Amino acid sequence: MTWIEFANLLINGLIEGLVVALPALAMTLVMGVNRFPNAASGDLLTTGAYAAVAVQWLLGWPLWAAALLGAVITAGVSAGAYRLIFRKLAGRPMVASMLAAIGLGFLLRSLISFFAGHDQRTFDLPLVRAWNFGGVRLLPTDLVIAALAAACLAGVFVLIYRTSFGRQLRAVADSADLARASGIRAGGLMISLWLLVGALSAVGGVLLGMKAVVTPDMGWESLIPAFAAMVLGGIGSPVGAVLGALLLGVVQELAVPLLGPSYKLVLAFAVLAGVLLLRPAGLMGRVQLVR
Amino acid sequence: MTAYLLAIGIVALIYCLLALGLNLQFGLTGLVNFGVVAFFAVGAYTSGLLSLQGVPLPLSFAAAAVLAGLLALPIGLLSLRLRDDYLAIVTLGFSEAVRITIQQESWLTQGVQGLPGLPKLFASWGPVSDAAIFAVLLGAVALVAWGTVRLTGSPFGRLLKAIGDDEAALSALGKDPARFKVQVFMLGAALAGLAGAFYAHFITFITPEQFIPLITFYVWMGLIMGGAGSVRGAIFGSLLLMVFLEGSRFAKDWVPGVSEVGMASLRLAAVGLALILITLYRPHGLWGGGKSQ
Repeated sequence: MTWIEFANLLINGLIEGLVVALPALAMTLVMGVNRFPNAASGDLLTTGAYAAVAVQWLLGWPLWAAALLGAVITAGVSAGAYRLIFRKLAGRPMVASMLAAIGLGFLLRSLISFFAGHDQRTFDLPLVRAWNFGGVRLLPTDLVIAALAAACLAGVFVLIYRTSFGRQLRAVADSADLARASGIRAGGLMISLWLLVGALSAVGGVLLGMKAVVTPDMGWESLIPAFAAMVLGGIGSPVGAVLGALLLGVVQELAVPLLGPSYKLVLAFAVLAGVLLLRPAGLMGRVQLVR
Repeated sequence: MTAYLLAIGIVALIYCLLALGLNLQFGLTGLVNFGVVAFFAVGAYTSGLLSLQGVPLPLSFAAAAVLAGLLALPIGLLSLRLRDDYLAIVTLGFSEAVRITIQQESWLTQGVQGLPGLPKLFASWGPVSDAAIFAVLLGAVALVAWGTVRLTGSPFGRLLKAIGDDEAALSALGKDPARFKVQVFMLGAALAGLAGAFYAHFITFITPEQFIPLITFYVWMGLIMGGAGSVRGAIFGSLLLMVFLEGSRFAKDWVPGVSEVGMASLRLAAVGLALILITLYRPHGLWGGGKSQ
């Protein structure tokens, strides 16, 4: 591999990593606070992408506005699902929430494929030529995607680490009992969390759709990579989820010349298995959350 | 009509076998296996490929069960030391990894084209071959059911139940729960492998597309409808699942203006809704009431 090929793969890997970081972060937030792996995250991402496609197609709005409305719709779906399903399963064994999340994922995906069919959709984007720096190619669209993903991540980190909402959220994640004893009301906080999780997943879906195409299975296919990124970063660690996603994106992309693109998901699984074997706490996680 | 009933009876019994394996893992021991279909696929392809090489079916069936069971060993060792949900994530990822590998390694598996023309079980019996398959499967299901009931009462079974109830207390008594968990996980996987072999040599044509994660959750749906932890529940739940799957095929005739593909979407929606509603309102099975297993 020449360094030019290497640089191209590295850039692409970082961009894909930034996009996967959004659902991985959403999943980590739920894992840290509600303590179950939200297998519906992938299909919330698909919901966001299709909501934006539908808005663009029905109302003819520009992409940014369609994406915004798509995020609002998905945030509503996500908070509604929490209110109707996951809140009621809070005291029950983890498997109940996991099964319900799988069920919710099936339900969302099936409604989407029922109304929109299985055909690929695309966003209306201006066609632009890639910039070429002595062989290192950079698509302006990819740069926009990366910048939007980074801005979104930065926004979420400000929310988590610089606002009263984030402080309360971190308190509940640390110890729900202690947080309640300190007068934090979990109800409204959880609704806000799930609104955030839905919006974050939806933006991930739109960016993924801008990078490639929109299909009913796009979210399911990004579920295992998002899981792997979350575990690699250390469960419950927001910074870890983003680092994990970036690392995974680069590793997946660098392996493409060796294994071909079809094995990306298998590689994500291999990374997941490797991390659990060598360092179950991940890059930034704490051991007591793992065992 | 008899042929049709026999065919859905056979598929129902294959689901029973899968549900009984999952019942050992989840119902008795609390292991959340979201990758049932992986072991099912490994069993189907193992037996299918061996039989195409001329290996007699009894041997290829045994190989299917053994290989599926052995594949469960690294997965179990990897995740059973950790919290419950890791096994769920790892097995779900594993099942997709297995499907994609089968799809890609076409030198071995013929990829997306699948393996047509597998030898049918009891093919030489001609018109009564399906009845023979049904009888053997019924025997296998009865044997596994009987074995599970026996196991539940045995010291090993009590250990498994104790793992499900309170693992920490069990460790405090000097037992090693992780070892038992791995053993049960392998046993359940071997049953899924056996079910895969039956499937391959009944359908006689397998493709990677038949082994999607949805199959795993069909088995889960059957098990939790019937009530996890009881053999009767696993069996009745699987039969109920079959009624649902076949019934939804006929439902197309009553719902006008919905295409075949649209119907598949609606069926997926029903499965999703069922998983949500059962976990919410009937955690001990449709007729399980509120008492704990």
